[in-house]
Amino acid sequence: MLKSWKLKEVVLMSLFSVVFGIVYLLFLHVGNIWAGFIGPIAYEWIFGIWFIVSIICMYIIRKPGAAVISETIAAAIEVLLGNAVGPRLILAGVIQGLGAEAAFAATRYKRFDLWVLMLAGVGASIFSFTYGYLLGGFTVFSTGYVLLMLGIRIVSGAVLAGIGGKVVVDGLLATGSLRGYAITRTKKGEASA
Amino acid sequence: MLSIIYCSRKDGCSVNTALHNMNPSVKFIAVTVCMFTLAFYFNPWTPLFVWIGVLALQLLFSRIDWKLWILFMIPFFIMAFGYFWTTLVFAEDKSGPVVLSIWSFHITEVQLNHALSLSFRVLAFSGLSLLFALTTNPVSFILSLMQQMKLSPKIAYSILVGYQFLPVLKDEFVQIQQAHRLRGAAQEKNVFRRLMHMRKILLPMLAGAVRKAERAAFAMEARGFTGEKRNSFYKVIRVGKVDGYMVGLFMILLVVSCTSVFYIN
Repeated sequence: MLKSWKLKEVVLMSLFSVVFGIVYLLFLHVGNIWAGFIGPIAYEWIFGIWFIVSIICMYIIRKPGAAVISETIAAAIEVLLGNAVGPRLILAGVIQGLGAEAAFAATRYKRFDLWVLMLAGVGASIFSFTYGYLLGGFTVFSTGYVLLMLGIRIVSGAVLAGIGGKVVVDGLLATGSLRGYAITRTKKGEASA
Repeated sequence: MLSIIYCSRKDGCSVNTALHNMNPSVKFIAVTVCMFTLAFYFNPWTPLFVWIGVLALQLLFSRIDWKLWILFMIPFFIMAFGYFWTTLVFAEDKSGPVVLSIWSFHITEVQLNHALSLSFRVLAFSGLSLLFALTTNPVSFILSLMQQMKLSPKIAYSILVGYQFLPVLKDEFVQIQQAHRLRGAAQEKNVFRRLMHMRKILLPMLAGAVRKAERAAFAMEARGFTGEKRNSFYKVIRVGKVDGYMVGLFMILLVVSCTSVFYIN
């Protein structure tokens, strides 16, 4: 799968992961403090921000695997930057990436409009929630509370990651720095990547 | 930050202790296995014992800055408290004898056990994570993932490139902020507006990241980096005897904690 990847695309994902790794850490600390007062539901509102890298990278690079690989790299870099959530974050990254990837795979990597990006955010939300449900022991919470958490996370995934990702990339596209990536080629009407 | 955490001990970075000498991939697997095993236990004792055991392992087999450790644990204590009361209020299983009543709110034994269990689980998870973070050299970790876990060199070296760029990107973050201020862009007082303002900093940073990525990739390829799998490495990360012993200790800790329910009740 990695054969078709240019090195600059992989390095790009890594550098984006560093930029967002800093953003993630900020959010994590805010979330941790907040979680003390309103419990684990504190993370749900901001959970979408954790999926943004996979959506941004897929939207730019448009190759199968872009969502999983970028989210995994982002998680690895977060661990390197010194995250007290630790190594299990890498696994969480893989799972979130798979959720986003599933949405793009369902459209056969042909469509990259706002709806698909939001769907990818929802996919990542559902996958990551299942993982959190098992590891965080959410089984002890009442069903209504769990559904509320899931609902908030899905909205957060669609809005923060889906819409937010599109806004960021469209802004970046306007700067002209994305020349040479699939997103610019398809916008010009050349053969899609 | 990890490099900062990792090197902030008084005696520098060349610490010769069992936990520091462990192969990073092996340590990674040991810590992950402990975490996943904990996910199946809903009694308060298992996670509590794991947490205490991890502290003991760290005391015996590593030299870390405990002030730093406490600093990193504080948010998790707060978080554990959040889990504690949420579980009490939103519990699914409210069976068992009532052990505590506050006004008209009754807490049963099952509820209390679940709440304590989840809170201790948060502590155990963070203890395990800090054990990993405080004793692992980030660069060795990635190299070890490549050498022992067959991570593609293309991804491994890209991650290392990103890691090396961290200080540059941090400087850039400050520069962009200063440039904004120089041109009279006022700092937002409102937290929400400040978050919206982040976009104005994020975009130039990402645009810079795109250019840096291109330059770095070009430089790597110009020096003959192909991303092919390889068998020989400049810096070799080994799996040794110490890994066997430490994994053994981790497993003993896990078995003792998991069976603790039987001899406590």
